[in-house]
Amino acid sequence: MANEKSEYLLEVKNLKKYFPIKGGLLSHTVGQVKAVDGVSFRIKRGTTMGLVGESGCGKSTVGRTILRLLEKTDGEVIFDGEDVFSLTRQELRKMRTRMQIIFQDPYSSLSPRLPISEIIGEAVREHNLVPANEFDDYITKIMKECGLQEYHKDRYPHEFSGGQRQRICIARALALNPEFILCDEPVSALDVSIQAQIINLLRDLQKQFGLTYLFISHDLSVVEHISDTVGVMYLGSMVEFSETEKIFDHPLHPYTVALFSAIPIPDPNYKMKRIVLQGSIPSPANPPSGCKFHTRCEKCMELCKHVSPDWAEVEPGHFCACHLYNSAERNAQLEAEMKQNAAAQVKQAG
Amino acid sequence: MSDKMEEKKLNENPASKAESYALDDERRVKVLSPGTMVAKRFFRNRIAVVGLAILAFMFLFSFLGGVLNPYKQDQLFYTTTYQKKDFAGAVKNEETRFMGAEGQKFDSIIQAQAVLGITTHKDVVTYKEVNYHITQEGEEFWSVSLDDGTIIGIAYKDVVSSSVAGASLDFPFVYEVLKAYCNDRPSFSLDGREYTISEGGLVETDGGEEVAFISRYIISAIMPDIFLSRELQEELAVALENGDEEFAFTDEDGVTSEYYISYKPDIKNWVILQETPTRTYDQYSYPNKTHPLGTDVNGMDMLARLMYGGRVSLVIGFIVEFISLVIGVILGGLAGYFGKWVDQLIMRVVDVFYCIPSTPIIIILGAAMDAMAVDPRIRMLYLMLILGFLGWPGMARLVRGQILSLREQEFMVAAEASGIRVSRRIFRHLVPNVIPQLIVSCTMGIGSTILTEATLSFLGLGVKFPFASWGNIITDVNNTFVLTNYWFIWIPAGFCILLTVLAFNLVGDGLRDAFDPKMKR
Repeated sequence: MANEKSEYLLEVKNLKKYFPIKGGLLSHTVGQVKAVDGVSFRIKRGTTMGLVGESGCGKSTVGRTILRLLEKTDGEVIFDGEDVFSLTRQELRKMRTRMQIIFQDPYSSLSPRLPISEIIGEAVREHNLVPANEFDDYITKIMKECGLQEYHKDRYPHEFSGGQRQRICIARALALNPEFILCDEPVSALDVSIQAQIINLLRDLQKQFGLTYLFISHDLSVVEHISDTVGVMYLGSMVEFSETEKIFDHPLHPYTVALFSAIPIPDPNYKMKRIVLQGSIPSPANPPSGCKFHTRCEKCMELCKHVSPDWAEVEPGHFCACHLYNSAERNAQLEAEMKQNAAAQVKQAG
Repeated sequence: MSDKMEEKKLNENPASKAESYALDDERRVKVLSPGTMVAKRFFRNRIAVVGLAILAFMFLFSFLGGVLNPYKQDQLFYTTTYQKKDFAGAVKNEETRFMGAEGQKFDSIIQAQAVLGITTHKDVVTYKEVNYHITQEGEEFWSVSLDDGTIIGIAYKDVVSSSVAGASLDFPFVYEVLKAYCNDRPSFSLDGREYTISEGGLVETDGGEEVAFISRYIISAIMPDIFLSRELQEELAVALENGDEEFAFTDEDGVTSEYYISYKPDIKNWVILQETPTRTYDQYSYPNKTHPLGTDVNGMDMLARLMYGGRVSLVIGFIVEFISLVIGVILGGLAGYFGKWVDQLIMRVVDVFYCIPSTPIIIILGAAMDAMAVDPRIRMLYLMLILGFLGWPGMARLVRGQILSLREQEFMVAAEASGIRVSRRIFRHLVPNVIPQLIVSCTMGIGSTILTEATLSFLGLGVKFPFASWGNIITDVNNTFVLTNYWFIWIPAGFCILLTVLAFNLVGDGLRDAFDPKMKR
């Protein structure tokens, strides 16, 4: 598998990222924030995976851990057949050119003291991707592709609008000729008309260069527009994953259902059946037992409170983690186990 | 609304009208390096430019002025005046003086008996059954002898003094000299040697060597270290004899001095005054052609001192700020970039430094250096080191804060994600973003360091005499009299401090605005 080209560019297996909570006099670890708690998915080459979820559910952490900007706690990230976390420093530096990132905030993601050509070209020069004499033309080409003009080269970030800055960010990522770009909410900070421009730019570039995107967003309509597959996260875990049409057509997980019910439908005659979730998202430092969503779930069962659901392929290509879609036998088995465990606990306590 | 304003602007400036419509690429490509942009913005700020001009002037004034000015900072100026000073006193000897022969008893009781005999014109006086024969051997010169004719002493009124400074004359010589002199004999012989006595009273050997000098006048110098030469004494004696009031005398070195003689009847003394050239320091001389800003209490040129003082003040300002910059950037940078325990450790050190009461410490160290009599030049070095070491915590905090906030910026994450080296991340991304704040803080810091230095020097703890600094120039003004009468001592120095510190602050403000890329103008 190591060298043969897999159908999937990126595979994430049971990825975990815990942040320690320091406290006490000697600042020892008193707890952990389970920002990412066992996430698995894979992305085909040249496709876009959307990653949606509420604020603070760990979407961005997943993204940054994939790029090894954060060290993992557990799990595997396999990029083009190589485990990202087993790379040495030198190998990682090479790998960096193949995986890029576009940030949410186009203001803080550009160094204010460097001209645009330098921002875009710095890493190109660092990795010697193009010969020195072609460097200038190369930067111009990349800038043109991202909808920037040549005369922007010597300008500084503060002279640009948000949309243009985001184009610069895209150009910076694109200049390294990557295979994979992590788009960490790239349009959230922009107004709607600019959002569309950026989204279309990203799509065009994808077609042109065969890029693979992991598109993190909390804007469902954007995700629906750009993604081939969609993963839904809740409190550090993936709750549903499928192709975009399927998941938007018939979401399975109660959380996804609630989430998608919030998408406005541009039809005045349509009456929205909005499911309003009760309560707020629990703390990832102290997640609920069983199914993490049970505290807010409409269809919560006794089983959900104690046993965490399996990550199962409910339909072909449609994964979901919910007890509702278990087979009858499986549920019976789990309930029996649960009762046994409860009894054992009572015994232990007694 | 904005269109209207645009139009108005264009109308105001018709030359740019055609140009501003041509918003083509070529016109837009106006490459400005970050440095030129900062400079451009800076020079648009008039007040800052004024500050810069003042600073430029101060630098030229201090560094070039010190070279061009003919005077040195510790050069003393004085004028030569003639002053009559008490030089010597003279008294005509009216008392009988005595001298005993060697090996003979000629004590004061016998002397008193002899005087009694002389005044009562007796030839023999008897005391304790011993007869003393008094013989008048010349005019006002007597010898006292025993029955067997042995001379035990002499009494006389003319004073014989040795020509050789400090040497004393023995009895037989004095006896023979007086015997000859009082009988107006011009020569005598003693021990086979011939001596001549001149009219003025000079005793010479036949070889022409001066031996002694006889005079009725006793002349002694006021200052004990001055030896009155024989010639001078002779001249003086003549003048006294003639009753002259003044005479001139040229000594062996060829210096002619005027002497004035006045008689004080109450003490029967002549007082001889010598007119000598005296150097008086030009203390507090008002501004004039040679000293455009006058002179200070020591007679030093104020303009020269002001120039050299500016040098010291500016150099101290820069070096102190450089020391605190280096320490502050290194420690603050380490704390900010590495965080965690490094940050904790360094910031606690900074806290400790903030708790150090710097003024008492500097005063104590200043006093210690006074006590150890440290060389003023080395002391200046110590002062810089002390101020530098006390000044870095602020810089460290600034750098740490900046780096801490920059480190979390997404462009740093982006740089990391692009696989850019750590060193490059620090020097291309972090440092350029900190430098503007550093420059601004240093510029203002230099101003306040100059103030601190001036304060310390004013209190006598900073730069020490003979080195000038603007602070210790003002130290001279320690009483109201100087303050009100000699304005030229303190106004220029005070003005220099004021202008320089103000200029540093103006330039600092201007730089801060210029470095801010968000300031579009």
